[in-house]
Amino acid sequence: MEERPYRSASGAPIALRRRQHSASCRELSVRCPRLQLRSLSAVTSAVWLAAYGLFVLSQNSMVLSAAIFVTLIGLIIYLHFVKIDQESLLVIGSLGIQVTSSYASGKESTTFIEMSQVKDVVINEAIHMQKVIYYLCILLQDPGDPQGVSEVVPLFQSSKPRLDCLVEVYKSCQEILEQRKTAPQSG
Amino acid sequence: ENSPAPLPERAIYGFALFLGSWFGFILYLIWAYVPETWLFSLGLTYWPQKYWAVALPAYLLVAVGIGYILLFGINMMSTAPLNSTHTITDNYAKKQQQKKFQEEAIPALRDIPISEVNRTFFLPEK
Repeated sequence: MEERPYRSASGAPIALRRRQHSASCRELSVRCPRLQLRSLSAVTSAVWLAAYGLFVLSQNSMVLSAAIFVTLIGLIIYLHFVKIDQESLLVIGSLGIQVTSSYASGKESTTFIEMSQVKDVVINEAIHMQKVIYYLCILLQDPGDPQGVSEVVPLFQSSKPRLDCLVEVYKSCQEILEQRKTAPQSG
Repeated sequence: ENSPAPLPERAIYGFALFLGSWFGFILYLIWAYVPETWLFSLGLTYWPQKYWAVALPAYLLVAVGIGYILLFGINMMSTAPLNSTHTITDNYAKKQQQKKFQEEAIPALRDIPISEVNRTFFLPEK
């Protein structure tokens, strides 16, 4: 088990942790950058200053309590639905791939893809918000066409690691996926 | 026969457009600035309202400004999202035919599948 620091596409520090559970089972987790205190206080101050400005104009004190309420509810919603703390990928050679995202409030959301549906795990480049980024994705097999791809599942969407981190994850995944071809097909 | 070289016909078209645009501009200035009573006394009564002499340029400039934002938005909307297969392949690549490999000839142009590209780029240690 090792943890190494890398950078995300926007420059924030992230960390990749690799665990090898067995010869055909690996877990790769990327820890996303933490919620910055300065951005939190900047947003809170901006909202409260705007509410105070409205209060001075309208002399209605409900504006101030509404601003406090909005800030608290907004922070809870952001931590529970938007802010992802850690994204992990569990590759089990004969079984499938499990993708887990854990949010800052503790919520975890999991997706499991069976190995027979997985065609390959590749690093793809695409245009995203006026930039070209590298991202890791799982290609799902098209049942009708052995060469075709039916769906693309992008991984690590919130942490967006850079190419050096992605190459590490790619090599780890490929070592396990190659065992599929050499192992005899059963069932 | 489609060269961009200057030709006598193009010179005539250009001069006709030049005269036409100058005529249009002088007409626009007359319509916008000359008082209505003077134009009526000449017998020319059927003009559009002078309001449009200011409104049309204003509309045009706002349309140009919105056009910048609209083009930006259309570009963003037509970019394929990260989870679409259009980032990997398209109709031409799916229907391509494999040409037979010939010795000592340059291999034919084809779309290489992304798995193969990844293996070539990222797997070799050296």
